[in-house]
Amino acid sequence: MKGLSRRRAPLAVLTLFPLLSLISGCGSTGISAGPLQASISRTFGNLYVLQQAEQGNPRPSAGSLRTRASCQKGTPGTPQNGSGNWLCEITYLVAGPGYPVIAKYKVDVQTDGCYAADGDGPASVNGSPTITGPHYEQIINPLSLIDGCFEIT
Amino acid sequence: MTLATDRWPAFAERSAGGRPGSGVLVVWRLELAKLRGQFRVRAIAAGCLVVPFLAVVGLNLQNSTPGDTPFGQWVHASGFAIPMVILGFGAQWLLPVLAAVVAGDIFSSEDHFGTWKTILTRSRSRGQLFAGKFLAAATFAASAVLLLTVTDLAAGLLAGTQPVVGLSGQLVPAGHAAGLVVASWASELPPVLGFTSVAVMLSVVSRNSVVGIGGPALIALVLQIVTLISLPAWGQMALLRTPFMAWHGFWVHPAFYGPFLAGLVTCAGWFVICAGVAWLVFRRRTIGAA
Repeated sequence: MKGLSRRRAPLAVLTLFPLLSLISGCGSTGISAGPLQASISRTFGNLYVLQQAEQGNPRPSAGSLRTRASCQKGTPGTPQNGSGNWLCEITYLVAGPGYPVIAKYKVDVQTDGCYAADGDGPASVNGSPTITGPHYEQIINPLSLIDGCFEIT
Repeated sequence: MTLATDRWPAFAERSAGGRPGSGVLVVWRLELAKLRGQFRVRAIAAGCLVVPFLAVVGLNLQNSTPGDTPFGQWVHASGFAIPMVILGFGAQWLLPVLAAVVAGDIFSSEDHFGTWKTILTRSRSRGQLFAGKFLAAATFAASAVLLLTVTDLAAGLLAGTQPVVGLSGQLVPAGHAAGLVVASWASELPPVLGFTSVAVMLSVVSRNSVVGIGGPALIALVLQIVTLISLPAWGQMALLRTPFMAWHGFWVHPAFYGPFLAGLVTCAGWFVICAGVAWLVFRRRTIGAA
């Protein structure tokens, strides 16, 4: 019986993967632009407020920033769902409705709906991992690397 | 010599002390006493006590941060980030192995030492023996998680009680953060018990401690590879690895508990199936005929 199970174990693992690729077609991954955009824009807004506060600047309210995100996976031809590398552009207002600022992020989305967003410009906003505090000390730039999660359904 | 696999004589049942549960407790206490004497159990307990504090010291000695895990970049900014980084890494490997290290051995060690014949001639039924051993393995796994929860939180509090940045960019104040650390670690209990059940099943079926302990580690590895595949959400939820990650939702504002609740169902399913298979195999085993 032992010998049989020893032969069967690798076989079970081998059949697992075609089976999984078959299953992967059945149903939604729950990861799409909508929830990602909603999550990253709110997270960015909170962290922007934190960044300003830590630099000793006047604290804006997260609502007044009116952050919006637009996320895309790969090229426009790529199916726009699932884990992997996404690109997000976050538009926010710091000087009135006429002057939107755009921050870019490379977003690595995990299959459980958690993501790590790496700042991809402009350099003054999210380019540097550290920023200078009000007393010229170096502190972590909250906008350089953003960790967040959304619920997959 | 071959012992019969059918019902034990009535006098054995009676001498177990009346209620069937008390026999289980006797086995449980005996197994726990055996575990307390094992070197690796003591080593793990010592590790659970010391490692979180070593992690704090190690993180403070270097300037760089483990940036590739949630909370990693905040380890120098707030002590509450440290238990979460340990959990982020630990959930992948440490906890499945921790669950298996006793559960994967508790049945097969009797095969290894050839002691089934001895303990089955004592006045305990197979059911009591199975339940008692299972309970002892689960007790160990749960105790290890609870111990890690306490030491991790203590190590974090020692490192600093500044507010920590949550997973939606919000600042979590110290009191709430401490609660979330405890809740996050506690949410690992169901999948740890699930892995305990898997390890018990492998230990019973294979009669081999290497399979019993190594098997769950291998399964954790395979599940980690599988989670790289874009499975549908329901497929993802059915994997025994996903509930280890459910705590992420606790740290978002507003918090979501969907993955945790779905994880409870998943863990219960794995637990019941593996424990059931283990019991069916154990009950029908012919002991003594090698």
